Amino acid sequence: MKAKAQAKKVILYIAMLAICVITVGPFLYTLFISLKPATQGIYDGLLPTRPTFANFSDAFYKTDFVRYLLNTAIVTGIAVPFNLLFSSMAGYALARINFKGRSIVLTLIISTMTVPFQLYMAPLFQIAGELGLRNSYVGLAVLQISTAFGIYFMRQAFLTVPKELEESAYLDGANRFQVWWKVAMPLVKPTLISLAIYTFTFTWGDYLWPLLNTTESSMYTLSIALAQMSQNFDGGNLKLISAASILTTIPSLLIFIWLQKYFISGQTDGAVKG
Amino acid sequence: MKKKFSFTLVTALLLVGLMACSGEDEGNATSEAGSSGELSGKVTMWTASLSGEPFDSYFADLEAAFEETHPDVDVVIEDIPQNEIEQKVLTSLTGDDVPDVVNLAPRYMINIAAQGGLLELDDLVSEEVQNSYLEGPFKAGYFEENLYALPWYLTTTVSWYNNEHFEQAGITETPKSTQEIYDTAKAITDVTGNPSYFQIINQGDTVIEKMISIANGDPIVEEGKTVLAENEEIVEFFTLTQKMYEEGIMPQENAEGSFSTAQELFMANNLSLLESGVTFLGPLESGAPDVYEASKAGQPLNDLDAPVNVAVMNFSVPSKTDNPDAAVALAEFVTNAENQLEFAKVAGTVLPSTNESLEDEYFTNPGDSPKALGMLEAATSLERSKVLIPPVENSSELYEIVKMAFVKNIQGDMTPEEALQEISEKWDASFEKAGLTPTF
Repeated sequence: MKAKAQAKKVILYIAMLAICVITVGPFLYTLFISLKPATQGIYDGLLPTRPTFANFSDAFYKTDFVRYLLNTAIVTGIAVPFNLLFSSMAGYALARINFKGRSIVLTLIISTMTVPFQLYMAPLFQIAGELGLRNSYVGLAVLQISTAFGIYFMRQAFLTVPKELEESAYLDGANRFQVWWKVAMPLVKPTLISLAIYTFTFTWGDYLWPLLNTTESSMYTLSIALAQMSQNFDGGNLKLISAASILTTIPSLLIFIWLQKYFISGQTDGAVKG
Repeated sequence: MKKKFSFTLVTALLLVGLMACSGEDEGNATSEAGSSGELSGKVTMWTASLSGEPFDSYFADLEAAFEETHPDVDVVIEDIPQNEIEQKVLTSLTGDDVPDVVNLAPRYMINIAAQGGLLELDDLVSEEVQNSYLEGPFKAGYFEENLYALPWYLTTTVSWYNNEHFEQAGITETPKSTQEIYDTAKAITDVTGNPSYFQIINQGDTVIEKMISIANGDPIVEEGKTVLAENEEIVEFFTLTQKMYEEGIMPQENAEGSFSTAQELFMANNLSLLESGVTFLGPLESGAPDVYEASKAGQPLNDLDAPVNVAVMNFSVPSKTDNPDAAVALAEFVTNAENQLEFAKVAGTVLPSTNESLEDEYFTNPGDSPKALGMLEAATSLERSKVLIPPVENSSELYEIVKMAFVKNIQGDMTPEEALQEISEKWDASFEKAGLTPTF
């Protein structure tokens, strides 16, 4: 019996290891390429013979990496708090306020998720221009603020908050705004953190909209810089591209590691009630 | 607490409003040509995937030189990733933030011109300027008998081979026919134990160009009727590529057939011979220094008088430009002989499209690095090069048909005759549907 349990465990570990290699493998492979010295070819063995950070410093100093990093950080810094704020306000209204046409509004919001970006990017480009949002940080972040996904995600989370808690707050004299802010919001914290991570990841890696909405390269974000490097007219330097990719991924990785505990519980929270 | 939160919220929203306003009207400060006839105003030029050094310095100097000649003109040069430049130009045409000069590949130019997005340049560019360009690349700027682009830099097809593999197999010359490709590649594979030859497919366009080169002057389409199945050399090409794939002389990855796959295999020492542009060596210098040193260039693997494809990058002027005079003047300036020569030297792997710049010693005696040798071969093959596939509306469909048939052929799912028959039937149907009767 014990041997059977052990065998099961071994199989489980092998499976986990295999999944780990599949998911982490490409990242490690990119890391190894980025650490290879100038004299070593990228296909000359898996590991760097004499690891060097020269490619990282080249990516950092020989390109406008710092400017693009700053642009991306500012855009993400605007998108994340505002998406959390507006999505949670809209989500709460859709979960708790009984207004006429609520289900229609919800259906409309969800249905926008099925429309491909390519279909509405031209009118969006025009509107952004007319509103003076071209080449501005808000213009780059605007697409990630109050997203349909965020509203739906937050609505699902608010549905899990016991109504009794909110009712007792009303009895104590709280208004709707206070109930939302002081009672409901703290209870959906894991979902908020999950949404923050999603918004961070989408905004950090967003490519097409920042490219369309900028006519000045000084406003480019990291994803555009990476595309410029990899689409270089003669193929580019793959070690440099790998180093820049790693540098671009590090912030997302650190934030995910920091908040992963909440992220996992937040994901399951959203799925409890329909 | 409530007040504090409300204050924070209002402040944050105000901040967003202010930041949004800060970008307003930037980039719209374009004006027309001056009343005295002298050029003036802002002119924005978009290049495609030419960012970073040495290009940044080159374009900064170019910008300064143009502004010195035209002191009232403000030139802005921005770089856009090449894969998205067509989409970005088309989107910009729906609004007012339109560039004045754009660096486009012919396939993008045709699509944008077909939608009325580009300015006709026939009457805006003098005959003298038009005559300064090489005839073939200049013709690539035409669509439906109107000129929409001026040619800039070029790449022509050359052959690349790993000289170490050649030496191991005792081969001293590059092949000049499909049969010679087979014999050479087989000898190398027998020695190295690896696949040695790769036929780049890309979207199918590279195979079409190869077939036109093989046909060597005989058309593969006559007035909308496909005649390639009757060409014995093309049948031989399909037969031997199928044989090479079956015998492992061509790698399994050839069924995917992209340029980048060929580059990866060549860099990993798993390939010995192929045809491509001079830019093929780009990532090898840093990514595989040993293979780079062993790389050598030769003429394309066909008859020495067969036509060779030339890939053109050109400049167009969007129809919604606010400053057409300055835009055309800038496009002419960037593509003049002096600036093209300088650009070719800076880029190191491209050719200029002006007659005068090609006479420079740089192209007759470029040095002995693998890249320089490639450029020497490219400059040699430029004499017989032209845009082999004419700009036709159904080109994407033609590419796809050839790609599917060629892949099925090398994988042995079809006989060479069946594959060529399929191409002929589907191409004929496509030309009939589109109402086209081209000959090429």
